[in-house]
Amino acid sequence: MTPLLEIKNLQVRFKIYEGELKVLNGVDMVIGEGEKVGLVGETGCGKTTTVKSVLRVLPTPPARISGGEILYRGKDILKMKPAQIRSLRKGEMSAIFQDPLAALNPVFTVGHQLYDVIKYSSASRGRKRLSKKEIRARSIAVLKETGMPDSERILSNYPIQLSGGMRQRVCISEALSASARLLMADEPTTNLDVTIQAQILRQLSELVAKKKSSILLISHSLGVVRNLTERVYIMYAGNMVEVARTKDLFADPLHPYTKALLKSVPKLTGEGISRGIRGRIPNYLNPPAGCRFHPRCDHMMPICEKERPAFFTGGDSDNHKVACFLCRR
Amino acid sequence: MAKYIISRLLQSLFVLFGLSLLIFFIARVMPGDPARVALGSLATHEQVQNFREEMHLDKPFPVQYYFWLRSLLRGDLGKSLYTRRPVTTDLKAYIPATLELILISFIMSLVIGQVTGVLAGYFRNSWFDGLSRLISYIGVATPAFAVAIFFLLFFTYTLNLAPAVGRLSLAAVPPPRITGFFILDSVIAGKFGTALEGLKHIFLPAASLAVANIAQEGRITRTSIAENLQKDYVIAHTVYGIPRWSILFKYLLRPSLIPTVSVMGLAFAYQLSNAFLVELVFMWPGFSRYAVTVMLNKDLNAIVAVVLVIGVAFFLVNVIVDIVVSFLDPRIRLQRTGG
Repeated sequence: MTPLLEIKNLQVRFKIYEGELKVLNGVDMVIGEGEKVGLVGETGCGKTTTVKSVLRVLPTPPARISGGEILYRGKDILKMKPAQIRSLRKGEMSAIFQDPLAALNPVFTVGHQLYDVIKYSSASRGRKRLSKKEIRARSIAVLKETGMPDSERILSNYPIQLSGGMRQRVCISEALSASARLLMADEPTTNLDVTIQAQILRQLSELVAKKKSSILLISHSLGVVRNLTERVYIMYAGNMVEVARTKDLFADPLHPYTKALLKSVPKLTGEGISRGIRGRIPNYLNPPAGCRFHPRCDHMMPICEKERPAFFTGGDSDNHKVACFLCRR
Repeated sequence: MAKYIISRLLQSLFVLFGLSLLIFFIARVMPGDPARVALGSLATHEQVQNFREEMHLDKPFPVQYYFWLRSLLRGDLGKSLYTRRPVTTDLKAYIPATLELILISFIMSLVIGQVTGVLAGYFRNSWFDGLSRLISYIGVATPAFAVAIFFLLFFTYTLNLAPAVGRLSLAAVPPPRITGFFILDSVIAGKFGTALEGLKHIFLPAASLAVANIAQEGRITRTSIAENLQKDYVIAHTVYGIPRWSILFKYLLRPSLIPTVSVMGLAFAYQLSNAFLVELVFMWPGFSRYAVTVMLNKDLNAIVAVVLVIGVAFFLVNVIVDIVVSFLDPRIRLQRTGG
């Protein structure tokens, strides 16, 4: 599979009053053409920062990309000129965000926002400009595609007049109106209730399949990732700690963090709620040396405090990689 | 939208009623017999008594209020003791001069304040932001009359760029009165030379009044732009391919204007009574100067009229601000009318 997006050793720091937060500590990731990839990790582990770095929308300052490469079809996004990045956003990359209400402008109607999105993203690629009528027709069509009921009436509504599910459908319409090759969905259903979650995810994956796009699905729900992705990355405190085909990862998790994460999911069989993982995500101002997970790890060895583990191949497949000294052979 | 405006106007009728009651009450509790004050100390007891009956001053307060309100609605506010003319005639002469002045000053502060505010917010913590912050502090801290004197010294006496005083030069013939705004009336009458003359005269006083507002409004806009820049929707608009200028001057400016509009409205009404020192420096025959003069002369009818005008001005500005804000922010409009 040819890689569409390749992130190599990405490092991002945030400057705050007390010093510099070392948030992304060398992130590596590959997304293939048409591939469905999951990214799982606790809140605050750097998932959103990774996505924003790829889209080049990190607020700099306070953020600073201090190292690494982000290759899109072999070209480094971090070295691109603003015009090249803008054209990438029109039709190549797009994203859906966690909170649809915050992601929609509160003082413009849905139709108004969708109109501009379609107008500007269609104007770029040397095509003739769409007429007002055509843009409106496309707005209604993209809303319908996401399963929006009554999409014509929705156009004249403001975001606050819509339900959570409808708002997220509007965001998906905006994200997909330019038929992106790579869609990054940053916890798209976290703020929705379970039934709506299922609907939205189903429609989203159908849309992505239809357009043959790649998707990076970010979630802290393991169930969602298990059902919708082919490969999954586990992230902890600004590092990728494990990557494997989804079914391998769930069958045979290798990293102590992944194991603990899978164990902490409450079971329907009524064994009670698990204890979770002891400790909490580290302070990025002075993150632990070596493996960032070692203060919370039950299998801590002396080397874990000193050296950062590289990726070791583990399990039955060459595609299963773990950043843990336990798997060093 | 129309529904909201109508309900807002109906609400405001009550405010106007309250305002009229308040002013009537103030006028009646002021020390001194209004009949005696009006007729002077030489009038006989009988004359005062007759006057009292004639003006219904012997009746109970509610009846007095009725007659007062009736004459007010007819545009009769009594005679000024100081100018010896009907108060409404005075108001007609002075209000347009000040209104024209603060309107021009309002436009200046709107344009300059918003542009610097947006740019300072967008390039926050840049040299431009720092410079505009420094100038703002100076602008807010300097009283308008000091700015006026400085402008007069610099632009008129040193550079000789602008005329010193008045609305027009002495030789110029004022345009036929339609609105009372010299510049507008001149344009209507087709006298563009006079309009230009008027613009030259109004520039310095309007700019003196505008300085503090430019500083304040610019800072407020800067703050809300800087704050809104962090919002998710700005990132979303960027990712979805909306160009930077459109985000800045449309998607970001509109929500950021909401706090500024309220401040701008109040600043506008405030200047009606507060342009006094600037009007004095530029010898501008305006309402502010009139207001201070009649107060110093204890000119009761004129004081009532002045208070009324300022009250109504604040009231109108509030209504306009509410309507503009509800236009900018659908959340307010939708909540109040429940739809």
